[in-house]
Amino acid sequence: MRKIGFFNLMMGAVFMAVPLVALLGSSDAAAESAADNYKLYCVQCHGTKGVGKGINAPVLAVAPRNHTSAKDMGELTDSGVFKAIKEGGVAVGKSTQMPPWGGVLTDDEINDLVKHLRGMCKCEGKK
Amino acid sequence: MKRLLAISGLLVFFAGGALAADGKALVGKFKCADCHKMQGPAVKTIADVMKRKAPDLFYAGSKFNRDWLVKYIQNPTKLRPGGVVYLNHIKLDGDQDTVGKVLKCASKLSAGDAEAVADYLMTLKDPDMKTGVFKPGKVKKARAKMVMLKKEACNACHMFPKKGGGVSCPTFEGIGSRLNPDWMYSFIKNPRKWDPKIWMAVRDFDDATLQLMVNYLSSLK
Repeated sequence: MRKIGFFNLMMGAVFMAVPLVALLGSSDAAAESAADNYKLYCVQCHGTKGVGKGINAPVLAVAPRNHTSAKDMGELTDSGVFKAIKEGGVAVGKSTQMPPWGGVLTDDEINDLVKHLRGMCKCEGKK
Repeated sequence: MKRLLAISGLLVFFAGGALAADGKALVGKFKCADCHKMQGPAVKTIADVMKRKAPDLFYAGSKFNRDWLVKYIQNPTKLRPGGVVYLNHIKLDGDQDTVGKVLKCASKLSAGDAEAVADYLMTLKDPDMKTGVFKPGKVKKARAKMVMLKKEACNACHMFPKKGGGVSCPTFEGIGSRLNPDWMYSFIKNPRKWDPKIWMAVRDFDDATLQLMVNYLSSLK
């Protein structure tokens, strides 16, 4: 069997360690599934069933949207929903209580969330 | 006289050091690390956030005011009405989510132990956090409330004294006694620096707005 020299061993360790360190040293949070993002960020107001009855909902001046309502959600365009999530309710003429999640979620994650919401309402966005 | 002062200083220094070391031992004795993360970095996935049982303490020295810590450690109260991770405490009442059972820290330390633990926790600082950023000034209560209640709706998730509010995040009652204003400034500016998966939105606040909010929050003793 061929012997592996000390130098080769060290170089191998260095090359393997570089991506590992880059990964561990990254301060960026991992991208998540739409279901998990919905759970962590949206459920506090929109509720576990998505009907707008989260634990914070009773104190809100404007009731959070019912994401399972095909009637309500069907009136919104996908780009409007994307904008509301990214820039907050004010950006689409709605409540300030809907915060802007653009600093938390990537555009890809928001697009996935829009699809997730369409699955919840079993409806398509207004064209 | 100078020599006496120097010796006194050294004694205080070593006594403080000894107390912090005792505090570290007490943190081990009371198994604080069973619930609190005592070493960084913060978790970076939702799955790991869901496993959190108590707030991270590896930057406690940057976050808390020592005097508050000493009192709190002797008699812990519930600071997060919805629990440390609200998702783990939801109870359904029909379609309405409610808060189920939320436990507070079970450890109640003696005054002496609390002093020692607080001294140790105060050594756990984030070296990257800028200090002296907060500029104490006149509390512009009406203006701060306009920003925090009307414009940003912080009360959707946080409870304000006398006003009430949401339960998914820590209460603002007594926040001025509890938190270091420099840490508040840093956290509001970029919550994800401290907790990459915190369920708080990131806003692009300028320095004046941050000072306004932190001045107000610091007044809530």
